Amino acid sequence: MNIKGLVSDIQDCYLLSIRGILGIFRRPFYFKDTIEQMDYAGAGSFLIIFLVSLFIGMALSLQLSAELSRLGLKMYTGKVVGISIIREVGPVTAALVFSGRVGAGMASELGSMILGHQIDSLRVFGVDPIKKLVTPRILSAVIMLPALTLMGDAVSLFGAYYIAVFVSHQSGYFYWSSIKDILNFENVLAGSIKPFIFGYLIACISCYMGFSTKGGAVGLRKSTTRAVVMSIIMIIISDFILTRILLYVLGFSV
Amino acid sequence: MIVFDNICFSYGTRQVLKDISFSIESNERVAILGGSGEGKTTILKLIVGLIKPDSGRIGIDKVDITDKTEDELREVRKKFSIVFQEGALFDSLNVKENVAFCLREYTKMSEEEIEEKVGKLLRKVGVEQAMQLMPDELSGGMHRRVAVARSLAVYEPRMFLYDEPTAGLDPVNAENICNLIVDLSKGGIGHVVVTHKVVDALRVVDRFMFLQNGVMIFDGNSYGLMHSAIPEIQIFISELNFNSKENRQFV
Ligand SMILES: Nc1ncnc2c1ncn2[C@@H]1O[C@H](COP(=O)(O)OP(=O)(O)O)[C@@H](O)[C@H]1O
Ligand SMILES: [Mg+2]
Repeated sequence: MNIKGLVSDIQDCYLLSIRGILGIFRRPFYFKDTIEQMDYAGAGSFLIIFLVSLFIGMALSLQLSAELSRLGLKMYTGKVVGISIIREVGPVTAALVFSGRVGAGMASELGSMILGHQIDSLRVFGVDPIKKLVTPRILSAVIMLPALTLMGDAVSLFGAYYIAVFVSHQSGYFYWSSIKDILNFENVLAGSIKPFIFGYLIACISCYMGFSTKGGAVGLRKSTTRAVVMSIIMIIISDFILTRILLYVLGFSV
Repeated sequence: MIVFDNICFSYGTRQVLKDISFSIESNERVAILGGSGEGKTTILKLIVGLIKPDSGRIGIDKVDITDKTEDELREVRKKFSIVFQEGALFDSLNVKENVAFCLREYTKMSEEEIEEKVGKLLRKVGVEQAMQLMPDELSGGMHRRVAVARSLAVYEPRMFLYDEPTAGLDPVNAENICNLIVDLSKGGIGHVVVTHKVVDALRVVDRFMFLQNGVMIFDGNSYGLMHSAIPEIQIFISELNFNSKENRQFV
């Protein structure tokens, strides 16, 4: 990949993301399409994020109780697990699953519309494809990913609770009270800003990759793959940057 | 109505059109002939402003559309009814919703009115039985017909544009589509048909343009086309069956 192509890709993707957001404020607003996308992105991803979160929570809890009980600090399991899940593991896991399921879906759907000249048809009929297709997808991702993350966090915490209490034989009451302790403003803020940004990134990258599809079935494969790969990379990188910023803003010393 | 003035166009570094000029009146019936990949679809896309030329001007109804924005182009596109290669139906919507697409987008019709209007349009193109089918359940010919019906839904077009309307169709269906094209342009509405099939073009147009290596190498009537000395054109017309009476009448 040459540098010039990369820069123009980033520029175009950025423009698409801005125009996608501005689409909310200009008529007509495609309410029905937005609801449809929210249903696909949200309700459709519920089960898979439920499962993934449950097992991540259990695995994390298992690892930490094993390690902490060797140090005699078993009672801290709830606290450490809770902080990792709320601030880091929950948002990132949900976003990764979301990009694999919803991002890939967006890219392949828009890509096949490009290949079938359907986007051209929309433009000929005077419909702005960005407002009709991109804006609803951005909105649905920005609304549904945080909701899914919240649900995933809760499920993870229950999974971790199950391991801590029934496998590691800790006190359930103490587990929940340490979770309650860490549910303070800083942690909740740190964990809940991320999914909005991740959702926005996933939707913009996937729509852009879908729109830049060319070259038949192979081209569609390429653009779908690129959508998922780029989303994953951007999620991980932006997670690091966001964490750094949030820790700084919230006054933690590292 | 359509004026191309020294149009050059390239995809990346690959030049597709080299200095093309022509003009078409709104009541003319024109075919743009040429092999695959010669840039025929590109010309149609330029006419409705989906892509911009590298240089040269395009005028529609004496208005220069070369530098118009997407919003301004909306008015221009209303003058045309365009049917893309393969029809380009929205494949996640059924036939009825495809045809109703523009009605829902631009009018406040009730469900009954939409149903009635869609029925009328589908009857006009002869596929009213396909109302509830999905695009991938349609045969090639029905697909094109539905696409024609969809493009007629909202505006009264001043001109029709067809991209390979008969490609991939059996002779009977191709004939039916040709008849439909001729029917629709009764009353002086012209059309531009992009095709690589001379047989079908002969049925529906009076003027022929031939595109080769990005240059318009021929522009004239069927007599001129048949007697052209250009070798590529001779290859194209050699596919005609000269024994058939029907074709001989054109020559
Ligand atoms: N989006 C595109 N990107 C790059 N090249 C393209 C694109 N669309 C068409 N082309 C190339 O431009 C040439 C003309 O295409 P087109 O106008 O579709 O040809 P035709 O309709 O005559 O078969 C072809 O060689 C094709 O490979
Ligand atoms: Mg073509």
